[in-house]
Amino acid sequence: MSKPVIKVKDLHKVYDGAVPVKAVNGIDLTITEGEFTALKGPSGCGKTTLLNMLGGLDAPTSGAIEVGGVDITTLSQNELIDFRLRNIGFVFQAYNLIPVLSATENVSFIMLLQNRPKEEREQRARQLLQSVGLTGKEDKRPGQLSGGQQQRVAVARALASKPQFVLADEPTANLDSESTANLLDIMLKLNKEEGMTFVFATHDDRVISKARRVVAVSDGKIVSDTTK
Amino acid sequence: MILKIAWRNIWRSKVRSFIVLTSIAIGIWAGLLIIGFSFGMNNERTAAAIGSTLGHSQVHSEAFLEEPTSAATIGDAEAVAALQDSLLSAPYVTGVSVRGVMMGMVSAPKSARGARMIAVDPESERENSTFPSTIIEGDFFETKTRNSVVIGAQLAEKLGVGLRKKVVLTFQDGEGNISRASFRITGIYRTLNSTWDELNIYIKRSDLKKTIGKDLVHELMVRYDETEGTEEKTAELAQMLPQGLQILSWKRNSPELGYADDMMGIMLVLVLGIIMMALLFGIVNNMLMAILERRRELGMLMAVGMNKRKLFVMILVETLMLGFVGGPIGIVLGDLSTRVMMGIGIDLTSKKEGLANLGVQSVIYPEIVPEYYIIVAIMVVLTALIAALYPAFKALKLNPVQAIRGE
Repeated sequence: MSKPVIKVKDLHKVYDGAVPVKAVNGIDLTITEGEFTALKGPSGCGKTTLLNMLGGLDAPTSGAIEVGGVDITTLSQNELIDFRLRNIGFVFQAYNLIPVLSATENVSFIMLLQNRPKEEREQRARQLLQSVGLTGKEDKRPGQLSGGQQQRVAVARALASKPQFVLADEPTANLDSESTANLLDIMLKLNKEEGMTFVFATHDDRVISKARRVVAVSDGKIVSDTTK
Repeated sequence: MILKIAWRNIWRSKVRSFIVLTSIAIGIWAGLLIIGFSFGMNNERTAAAIGSTLGHSQVHSEAFLEEPTSAATIGDAEAVAALQDSLLSAPYVTGVSVRGVMMGMVSAPKSARGARMIAVDPESERENSTFPSTIIEGDFFETKTRNSVVIGAQLAEKLGVGLRKKVVLTFQDGEGNISRASFRITGIYRTLNSTWDELNIYIKRSDLKKTIGKDLVHELMVRYDETEGTEEKTAELAQMLPQGLQILSWKRNSPELGYADDMMGIMLVLVLGIIMMALLFGIVNNMLMAILERRRELGMLMAVGMNKRKLFVMILVETLMLGFVGGPIGIVLGDLSTRVMMGIGIDLTSKKEGLANLGVQSVIYPEIVPEYYIIVAIMVVLTALIAALYPAFKALKLNPVQAIRGE
């Protein structure tokens, strides 16, 4: 049996304001190693908030989040940053690459933050870019790449730190059908061949149809959890 | 790679960075030019005053310094000669001029004014001072005329007299008796200091002796091989003096000149400080804009694991680079322009009279002051560092989730 990577227990997130908003309202969830899971739901249902809390980017109002056996809700800001660097890969909707760096440098940068040696950084960056189908584009800057290619660089960057899992927030929202299909194929391949765990927050049917597990979120609660 | 990112980030907004770099370069260039100009002006004035009238130091009796009366002499001829020899034995003393100094009155047919009479040995003054070169009419006691006087152009104008005219000098002799004698103007001088010209008149020691029947020596003007180290040399000479005499450097003999010299350093640092303040705001503005534009990117960096220390260093390095690029350009420009100006001078003839009141020539030749280049370089680095702090702290306060969303 696969071991759990993420364990969430009775998670709540309330945004204070004139009218408090319960973005996440008592979620229990376990993600195991090698899953390819989509958190689906309409805009404002709480899936991105849930994803951010799983990645330690947002703090829950109450509840526990265990990542690889560590309760990340007890970590300080600095500990969380270091934890993210070593355990979690991120893919964002808007790619968020560093525009002044080449594809290789963008991928290497995460490893630089981990203080890995230069040779290892360059070798792994080239290898990852090859695995996402960007051979020959290593020296291109983000502005010289298409949206799909940029998002593939972002996937390579997310994998560069050898994380326990990758969190992807609407990774296909800005991509056309062909780029989306390409990206999903690459991520499925990495999931299958390297056993990398992927968790998506998405309302894109193209992603949902490829996911092996679909968790539907509505009004901050899990309303269905289906494994294909 | 942090350095690489910082360098490339500077050039992301070329126009904005160009404007900031240009303002840094121009600010420093202007600062260095002001420094060169001020030093040139001040050193010229000091050199002129030392060369023509003050000397590097002067010996007086303590009584004279307390109240400059005719009776407060240095001593008799024998004592003066011994002292002169003793001073000249110091390797850095190049000359000693003996002077009698008395307050009195100069009267012309139409007007009379208070004056300070300086009795000199013309030959010695010619050797030890540049004063004879300030003569604009007549000569400096070259004509063998008894009771000849050299007066300033300003004083001559106020008295309504000219060359070869007679004036009557009234002063006290060594016993406090009033002496009066008629003198003929054989020379008119103009130094860079119009205040000096209006007060001081020169007569020969030999004429004074004949008039009052004895030789009065109140002042020994001492010249050194170079101005640098004046205070140390003066302190050393002070050890040789007999009791009751004092030697004071030009800075203490002419406090206003010494004060201007000391104040100039402070003023220049203040001027540089003001320039740096203006640069500081320019750099802060530029970096805040840059951070605002790159919120998503900075949020992403924090999200993927760039810790606050590294983020802080990245912004700091980026800001410092602006200083490191703009600073040397400004220093090179400042140095080149000062060197050009050193050759041709800055012509301020239209302000000639005002400058003369300050003891300055109308064409000013700036000077290179290398130690100020180091001060400027340090100030630029400090300014860039201070300018980096606020934007860097601002970046640290970003919430990664909100920043990534572009909120």
